[in-house]
Amino acid sequence: MVELLESSLRLGTPLILAAMGGILCERSGVATICLEGAMLWGAFVAAIVAHYLHSPWSSIVPCLVGGALVLGIHAFATQKAKADHIISGLVVNLLVAGSTPLLCKFLFGSPTNSPNLARADRFHELAIPFLSALPGVGFIFEEMPLTYLALILPFVLHRLLFRSRFGLRITAAGEDPDTLLSCGVKPDRVRWVALCLGGALAALGGAFLSVSHASQFTRDMTSGRGYIALTALIFGNWRPLPTLLSCLLFGFADALQIRLQSAEMIPIQFIQALPYLFTLVVLVGFVGKARPPSAIGRVS
Amino acid sequence: MKSLAFSLSFACTLALAVAAAIIWFSGESPLALWEALRASLSSEGLGYTLFYATPFVFTGLSVAVSFHCGLFNIGAEGQLYMGTLAVIATATALPHLPPGLAIPLGILAAGLGGASWGCLAGMLKAWRGSHEVIVTILLNFVAYSIVDYSILYLYRDPVSQSPETLKIPGTFSLNTFDELLSPFSVSLFRSTPANLSLVLGIIVALAVGFFLFRTRWGFELRTVGANARVARFAGMNSALSTILALSLSGGLAGLVGVNEVMGHEHRFIQGFSPGYGFTGVAVALLGRNHPVGVICSALLFGLLHNMSREIEFATTHVSKELSLVIQAIIVLAVATQPFLVSLLKRRSRGRAS
Repeated sequence: MVELLESSLRLGTPLILAAMGGILCERSGVATICLEGAMLWGAFVAAIVAHYLHSPWSSIVPCLVGGALVLGIHAFATQKAKADHIISGLVVNLLVAGSTPLLCKFLFGSPTNSPNLARADRFHELAIPFLSALPGVGFIFEEMPLTYLALILPFVLHRLLFRSRFGLRITAAGEDPDTLLSCGVKPDRVRWVALCLGGALAALGGAFLSVSHASQFTRDMTSGRGYIALTALIFGNWRPLPTLLSCLLFGFADALQIRLQSAEMIPIQFIQALPYLFTLVVLVGFVGKARPPSAIGRVS
Repeated sequence: MKSLAFSLSFACTLALAVAAAIIWFSGESPLALWEALRASLSSEGLGYTLFYATPFVFTGLSVAVSFHCGLFNIGAEGQLYMGTLAVIATATALPHLPPGLAIPLGILAAGLGGASWGCLAGMLKAWRGSHEVIVTILLNFVAYSIVDYSILYLYRDPVSQSPETLKIPGTFSLNTFDELLSPFSVSLFRSTPANLSLVLGIIVALAVGFFLFRTRWGFELRTVGANARVARFAGMNSALSTILALSLSGGLAGLVGVNEVMGHEHRFIQGFSPGYGFTGVAVALLGRNHPVGVICSALLFGLLHNMSREIEFATTHVSKELSLVIQAIIVLAVATQPFLVSLLKRRSRGRAS
């Protein structure tokens, strides 16, 4: 059981990071289905940088910048060129899905994956002294560095969103951009910042997949996690703390899927569909009450 | 029509420039692009171009119908696999039908298979208010599982090493253009898989146009898409239109199975689609969601797809995913066209003064 919980925490980590990024973007009034693209790009950049510089830590900054750039395209298309948010999001996803294999083939000769990272080139568990020895909950303190970040981030974001000027501006840009404008703040500027920050966080979620959870970049390795993160934040009502819980729930579904694969009672194809089915059921069953930011997706 | 021609040429110019830049950056000669274009327009290449254009006609129409109702169907990929599965299931269950019955039945099965998957998304959207983009994406993954299971455990070819089904009975196969022309000893497309499905695509496109612009149901569907409030005040049932639009959209995507199974491979090969469904969004957008526009842009995307295959063969560093990047650039160009055009105008006015 502890193993299953630990594995849920691990599989929940990329979802939490991406969903927190998504909260910033969506609360500022931009529909962001390109979380998937930002994650995939982050996974790619992190794997490449860790491969060439032989250190997982060196991949963090390029990954953040890469994610910010990817959602920068989304910001340009939606804010500057007034394109439809969903179409722009699809463009970004397509661009990343196409350019990552293209670059992989150019750099390593194979479009499907990057070379395996050596043990020293990826993240490892970092046990926190004393806390990791606690009975019962000790496993939380023997995790990857990015998992700690994912557990702290929602609380930071909660403070930022509800207790700071910047956070209130983000919410205002998503709820009532005209009022924000009449207060002398340009909503599109706020959205640019929110999108770049959000993209950076989502990319970090991708980095967890390629240099922490696995040891290489493989084509389409996010396999829909961006959309699952999006559902998680909708289920969490666009608030950081409930979203943290819903991401852990989706992480649990993924962990359960991996556990059941070894059971061999049900065909593996159906077990693999479990996280997606679970996401669907949550989306269909419980999200009726969700209230999105009122200006979301509106082209100004 | 003039604006359609303008967007087409505008997007194409931009896309070709980007493609040339990528190829040049990879250390290859951008002339590879010209070679690929020439190869794609030769008699053999043209056959492949038309063969690849056929699924784009179906998925482009699929996305266009959902757009008209104000919906984004990103699930064409899953729907086309479900349609293909339905063809295989029908052909396996009824092996002794005469061709006159088998072919219409196969086409019907492909449509219904895709429509069932689209209808599911439509019901969830209409009755539960779930966002159709997320629902259709998630349903794609569920469809992949169902299809993979069916190929591997229900219809698998036990002799074959790769994951594919047994061949379906010959009565279910559509003729290729080459087979049709052989009695006249003409070979237009030199034994390429371009087949009658393209004709089916054109007929279906005309039918979709008639449905959307000449029938009451099509009018209601478009009204719901244009303004759901107005539609409700006019007494239209927007839930019904939503379900109808996504079912129809799924059915059109499912028809890809006709081209793949009945027209070409005669079996279901796991993962045959290089993203036909996702490209459908680009096809519909570039074709301005009009059936005729969709056919034009499907031909263009068929050409692009074939060209990127040719480039992958001819070069060592460029892979066929080049076409995905080009598609993204084309959609971006279409979506931001008003902005880009105004930018260009301002630039040229500045120079004139």
